[in-house]
This record gives sequence, structure tokens and C-alpha cells, in this order.
Amino acid sequence: MTLAQKGRWTTVVALVCLAAVYVRALAFTPVERLQGPAQKIYYLHVPAAIWTETAMILVGLASIFYLFLKDARLDRFAEASAEVGTVFATIVLTTGPIWGKPIWGTWWTWDARLTSTLLLFFLYVGYLLVRGAVRDPGLRARYAAVLGICGMCLVPFIHLSVFMFRTLHPQPIILKPSAPSLPGSMLATWLFSLAAFTLLYVGFVIQRYALSLGREAHGGGSPGHV
Amino acid sequence: MSEVPQNASYMVAAYVITAVILVGYAVSLYRRTNKP
Repeated sequence: MTLAQKGRWTTVVALVCLAAVYVRALAFTPVERLQGPAQKIYYLHVPAAIWTETAMILVGLASIFYLFLKDARLDRFAEASAEVGTVFATIVLTTGPIWGKPIWGTWWTWDARLTSTLLLFFLYVGYLLVRGAVRDPGLRARYAAVLGICGMCLVPFIHLSVFMFRTLHPQPIILKPSAPSLPGSMLATWLFSLAAFTLLYVGFVIQRYALSLGREAHGGGSPGHV
Repeated sequence: MSEVPQNASYMVAAYVITAVILVGYAVSLYRRTNKP
């Protein structure tokens, strides 16, 4: 089995798991009394946000190691993780306002959490644009690595922004020092969704990595050879 | 006792958009990998 096929099968399994998450969240998880059905957006929004941030941390770490080791596999992984992170960031930035409208009464507000997440999305897009614009593989990898490290530095600020500033965005109810403030059935659905998103990230990254390998084999150029 | 808000349409919209984005990206990866 090739790398691309492994990634494809992982993605198929992840999409089946996500379908099961949809069924569990929509049919078997209780409706929150104050927010109503819109609260169920939580089961997609938060796992997508966690992987948006984790993907950028992994891009940054791979970029740091690439600058020292000049190993093309690290650059290839960073590129794959950035593209998948952009997809998850798109989900966060669409589901967030859809959730915000019925609960906050507005689609968008320029508070610290929302604005910094939008900035992270622009960094992702900038990262991919740089990769598309620079022809020299070595330069492309180095420029992209710098952007990847900048993105990684932004992630802790995004997570802590709700503690540092007065924001409309609520504070974490699971990723916090004390115990999660969710009932057991809701927490189980959320953990199931997080597992599905984790599997999706892995499947997508393997496929995207295999795609880069294929392009290099057809003359795309590897930064490790420069 | 207050009634539960009737905002299921927002939930449906978010779930549909998420599915479209994820399946769309999966198809895009498949097509790019199998491009001759």
C-alpha cells in the first residue's frame, strides 16, 4: 500500500467517524437549555479550533528543525500541516459566526480571540502564498519556515487572549486547569468529535505529504537538495 | 421557566458547511493525487 493510499483510507475512516459524531451530536446528545440547539456547534467548532492551533504549532516546530537540519521531509510535513490547518481554520471562522449570531446577537466582533484567530488564518494563507510564489525550493522552504515560526508564536496568545482581555468569546470549559464543566454525555460527544478531527488531520496530512513527494519525483524540486 | 431558544437552523447550517468543507478538501486531495 502506498503512502497516498494509507492517507486515503485513514481519511475515509475519519469521515465515517465524523458521520457517527453527527448522528450522536444531533440525535443522542441533550440540547443545552440556555443556548438551544445552536450550542451543538460546539462539537465541531472547538475540535476544529484545537487542530487549527495544533497544526500551526507543528508547522512552527518542523520549520525550526528544518532551518537547523535542512531535511526536506520536515519542509514537506510543514507544508502539508499548513494546508490542512487552513482547512480547519476555515471551519472555525465559519462555524464561529454562525454560533455567535443567535447567542451574541452579532456575526462578528473585533475582540482579541476572534481577531487573533483571523490573523492566524491570514498567516496560514500567507504561508501557502509564499510557497506558491517562490520558485527556488531552498529559498521557498526558508521563507515559509520563518512565517511558520511566526504563526507558532501567535498560538499561545490566541489561547490566552480570553484571560488577558475582556472578550465576548467565552473562556475554555474543557481546556482549563480545573475539571471540564460539561455533563458526561456532552463531554463524551465532544471527545468522540476530537478523535474524529484528529484522525482527519492525520489522514489529510499523509495524503498531502504524499502529494508533495509525487510532485518532487516529477521534477518539482526538493529543498533538501539545495 | 424559560423556553429553549429555537435556533436549530444555525446548527444545521454549521454542520452542513463543515461537511462541505471537509468532503470538498478530501475530494480535492484525491483529484490532485490522481492527476496524470
